[in-house]
Amino acid sequence: MSSTTKQVDALVERGYEHGFVTDIETDVIAPGLDEDVIRFISQRKQEPEWVLEYRLKAFRHWLGMTPPEWSSVHHPQIDFQTISYFAAPKKKPVLESLDQVDPELLRTYEKLGIPLEEQKALSGVAVDAVFDSVSVATTFRKNLADAGVIFCSISEAAREHPALLREYLGSVVPHTDNFYAALNAAVFTDGTFVYIPKGVRCPMELSTYFRINAQNTGQFERTLIVAEEGSHVSYLEGCTAPQRDENQLHAAVVELVAMQDAQIKYSTVQNWYPGDAQGKGGIYNFVTKRGDCRGARSKISWTQVETGSAITWKYPSCLLRGDDSVGEFYSVAVTKGHQQADTGTKMIHLGRNTRSTIVSKGISAGDGQQAYRGLVRMAQRAENARNHTQCDSLLIGDRCAAHTFPYIEVKNPTAKVEHEATTSKIGDDQLFYCRSRGLSEEDAVSLIVNGFCKEIFNELPMEFAVEAQKLLAISLEGAVG
Amino acid sequence: MMLSIKNLKAEVEGKEILKGLDLQVGAGEVHAIMGPNGSGKSTLAHILAGRDGYAVTAGEVLFNGESLIELAPEERASRGIFLAFQYPVELPGVNNTHFLKEALNAQRKARGEPELDSVAFLKLIREKLAMVSMQPELLKRPVNAGFSGGEKKRNEILQMALLEPKLAILDETDSGLDIDALKTVSDGVNALRSPDRSVILVTHYQRLLDYIQPDFVHVLAGGKIVRSGDKGLAKELEAKGYGWLSGQDEAA
Amino acid sequence: MNSDTQTQHDLQGILHLGQKRMATGMPDTDWQSVTRQRGTAGVAAMARPDRKQEAWRYTPLGFLDQAEYQPIVEGPFDALQLSDIEDLMLAEPPAIRLVFVNGYLASGLCSMAKATSGVVLSSLAGGLGEVPAALRQQLDAIAEHNHVFAALNSALMSDGALIHLAAGARLDGPIEILHVSVGLEQPGICHPRHLIVLEDGARAEVIERYCGLGDGTYFTNALIEVSLGSDSELLHQRMQEESVHAQHLSDLQVRLGARSRYQLTLAALGGAWSRNDVRVTFGGEGATAQLDGLMLAGDRQFNDVHLVVRHEVPNCTSRETFKGILDGSGRVVFDGHIVVSRDAQKTDAVLSNRNLMLARSAEVDTKPQLEIYADDVKCSHGTTVGELDPDMLFYLRSRGIPEHQAKQLLCQGFAQEVFDGMANPALRARAGKLLAARLLESA
Repeated sequence: MSSTTKQVDALVERGYEHGFVTDIETDVIAPGLDEDVIRFISQRKQEPEWVLEYRLKAFRHWLGMTPPEWSSVHHPQIDFQTISYFAAPKKKPVLESLDQVDPELLRTYEKLGIPLEEQKALSGVAVDAVFDSVSVATTFRKNLADAGVIFCSISEAAREHPALLREYLGSVVPHTDNFYAALNAAVFTDGTFVYIPKGVRCPMELSTYFRINAQNTGQFERTLIVAEEGSHVSYLEGCTAPQRDENQLHAAVVELVAMQDAQIKYSTVQNWYPGDAQGKGGIYNFVTKRGDCRGARSKISWTQVETGSAITWKYPSCLLRGDDSVGEFYSVAVTKGHQQADTGTKMIHLGRNTRSTIVSKGISAGDGQQAYRGLVRMAQRAENARNHTQCDSLLIGDRCAAHTFPYIEVKNPTAKVEHEATTSKIGDDQLFYCRSRGLSEEDAVSLIVNGFCKEIFNELPMEFAVEAQKLLAISLEGAVG
Repeated sequence: MMLSIKNLKAEVEGKEILKGLDLQVGAGEVHAIMGPNGSGKSTLAHILAGRDGYAVTAGEVLFNGESLIELAPEERASRGIFLAFQYPVELPGVNNTHFLKEALNAQRKARGEPELDSVAFLKLIREKLAMVSMQPELLKRPVNAGFSGGEKKRNEILQMALLEPKLAILDETDSGLDIDALKTVSDGVNALRSPDRSVILVTHYQRLLDYIQPDFVHVLAGGKIVRSGDKGLAKELEAKGYGWLSGQDEAA
Repeated sequence: MNSDTQTQHDLQGILHLGQKRMATGMPDTDWQSVTRQRGTAGVAAMARPDRKQEAWRYTPLGFLDQAEYQPIVEGPFDALQLSDIEDLMLAEPPAIRLVFVNGYLASGLCSMAKATSGVVLSSLAGGLGEVPAALRQQLDAIAEHNHVFAALNSALMSDGALIHLAAGARLDGPIEILHVSVGLEQPGICHPRHLIVLEDGARAEVIERYCGLGDGTYFTNALIEVSLGSDSELLHQRMQEESVHAQHLSDLQVRLGARSRYQLTLAALGGAWSRNDVRVTFGGEGATAQLDGLMLAGDRQFNDVHLVVRHEVPNCTSRETFKGILDGSGRVVFDGHIVVSRDAQKTDAVLSNRNLMLARSAEVDTKPQLEIYADDVKCSHGTTVGELDPDMLFYLRSRGIPEHQAKQLLCQGFAQEVFDGMANPALRARAGKLLAARLLESA
């Protein structure tokens, strides 16, 4: 047996670390989706009438849509009537402080390593935690309020900041955008709202942890970040789910708005349950993420480390409307076992002197299937716009696959686009070189893969770069130990 | 005897390269192996370090009494075998310092020695850097990536200084070096000579032996050691060419 | 679908009109009938492509609604004399030249060297005598109907060169296939069908050219099948120099045997609308393919290359270099797709696409794709889109060369890397001259 086969087998055999279920009383509505369900969600969240209207409009539009078939992912047809669209921990629906949070829940987050309790928190990281459909606790609220930053759940924003929410909700990803975005607009349960006022540099990293716990539920969170003129914010989301035999749906929408000179850094460490070695179970992660660089010199940067989910389908994108605005996309995606990922980005250059950088690193092992799919569009008035794209795929084992599907559309002669892609396996000479220096084969693989991903990890906020590296090591364990 | 090779036969892709090679290297000795291109010099170096793709079909290779043939490359390294590559490999994205520390600690761990922490390691590596006159900047870069030929070779000697092997095999370390670089690299090697460290110099030219004085010189031709002697043999070869041994023109 | 009142821009309409006009009562035993039947079924089964189909996403087909194309199914077209096509000839015409006018062999314009042993030159409509069995059997053996136009070609194929080289046969000089279109009162559509078969160890050089006489509107819908046996070698040089009002679609499908070598150099310079589909499949180990192309899209020109290279067996190498030059409102589309199947270990493939944009209203849409199912491979692609390097331009101008001339020089230098792949010096020279002329027209 070749060493590569050995590694891959070990890889496939590795379990999922966050696969526990929290035993907690949950308020779940019966599976199924109709207008009554939407009214129920809206009513339970005590939303203003306009939010309900927005949901119903989206739902009616969704009914006329069909699921996308163009990507290279394969899954059985999803029956949207078997999913429950709302699940909430039963106790104390309104939470004023951490003391009121169900201790069982807090223990869950502890297990996940999330610094929910303020005293234990990593310094400078404010956390909003979403458990199934409900936002459970937001830490550091007071420090943020002092800076004028709003960091709350989206349901709360609907009640407390309706004017802001109404102005921006759906302004980047309209409810008509795509099948899953429409579904999300109809049934979004919770999520995070962030508002950074003019000139404010957010005093700490903001972070949301998502967890799907209840059975047969979907998670449809919605994140909206608005950075006013000259403001800065760095935001990180992390995701886990228990181990279950059925596939669970996660269809989120993330909208970012950056005004003149504003900067938003959005980082994701996604580790949803990927399913078992036979490909049973796991999360369908169908996400629409888009940032709108509305103002001149604004900057939106997406960094993602995608190691989980049975299927990942997401294309965090940037609309570069403001002159001199900057879009970035840094991605590491790992597919092993029977995981599939179809991910990439869209950089739509509309303004003059707009710049974008795309660095995508795909690692495919076992029976993993992975595709980079990206669009770079230089509109006619995108004078002197620049894009550089680098897509590299690393293959471990002879049953995996890696594809690269870039689309490049250029309508301005002064724009410059450069795209490069490579696909290869870990070089035998690299492996041998490390081993001849005393490293075990597994350590050598880990070292080389880490080097391969280095560029991306460097983009993560420092606290999470370490975490991401650890996650990668765990994902490749088996190749590593 | 530190290294004892008896009747070693080896193939690459079904083609026999080594055809019954014998070599004995004692502790503290420096052996030069010379020979025309294609004689099997690099094959021997790679086989000693455990590279895949070579089939040993006969003979034995004992290192301090233990057979090497079944050992993984990293196991050989931990036992004290070091190969300085003719073409050091580039590792994009892998930081040089990080790589060196990982290598050193992996070997220490395998030998049951305590691992060095970052402070101790940095102190150590600074000493070694001075020894091979290497720019400290090169430590911050990815391993060998974008290094000049001389920088790559120096990086090899730095690793040797750091890892303190029992047996160092230098595979054409002199190739592609100018005189200055050759001298720095040789000084590094000479500084590492000790009564319990042996060196095998694999080289095509006599030039290197002006800087690193061997105790023994062997001529490898057609997959066998065809002649052994002291350093006078190298001079003779220099003057007469390899053809002198086989009665033909030099194969190179 | 069976009525003459059917509007002719409908492809099915073209088919039915064409079948009706074709010499009635083509016997069922005719060796071409199987192909024609397959084509007819294909046209019936396939819709006209639209932008929802990935392979037609960037290819506009609006022109089909603008003209009523009359299927040209009756030949030969004998009106031309050698002096009429003087301008279309290469400076040093190859000794073997097969000339087709509006899709049919024009015997009077051909030039045949003395027979070389093992080489058979024949034509689909029988103008060069009876077609030998070896060629009859190979017709339609490779072609896939990847779109309705290919099926339409099979159904209505007019005439074409059929070339067979027996095992070990070698041709010294090139064979030229020259396709001349003459604009008719109503725009016509013709369906040339060529077949090149090299048996084991054979070697040939083929020049394939499509020219327009005058600036008529017409539609050339060609299909070319190439089969290379083990250890054979084909230098295939293709030049599309159609009239500026013409539509040109050619579908080239190549199958490579073990250790064969295929070199394609494509210069797509003419036409209002041009699409070249190139599909190369590796069917035997150790083969190599070098595929290069230049796409010129001057003002109001659309130039599209769709390339699919399928590595289905181990140890094959392919190199693809396609360049686009755009001026005025020109549009270039490049879709380059390398597929490496699970068994194709040790595949080495490098795809490059570079585009030079000279004008504000030009547009490039490019899609280099890698689809890889084997792990021990080396595959890469690189794409660039940009304008001329200002430093180079400045350097030339600082030596006294006027700006437009400097641009010309740089564009020609850019194209030359592709043209250099043409083995035939006369063809290479013609490509350079044509490019310069077209660039001047655009400027």
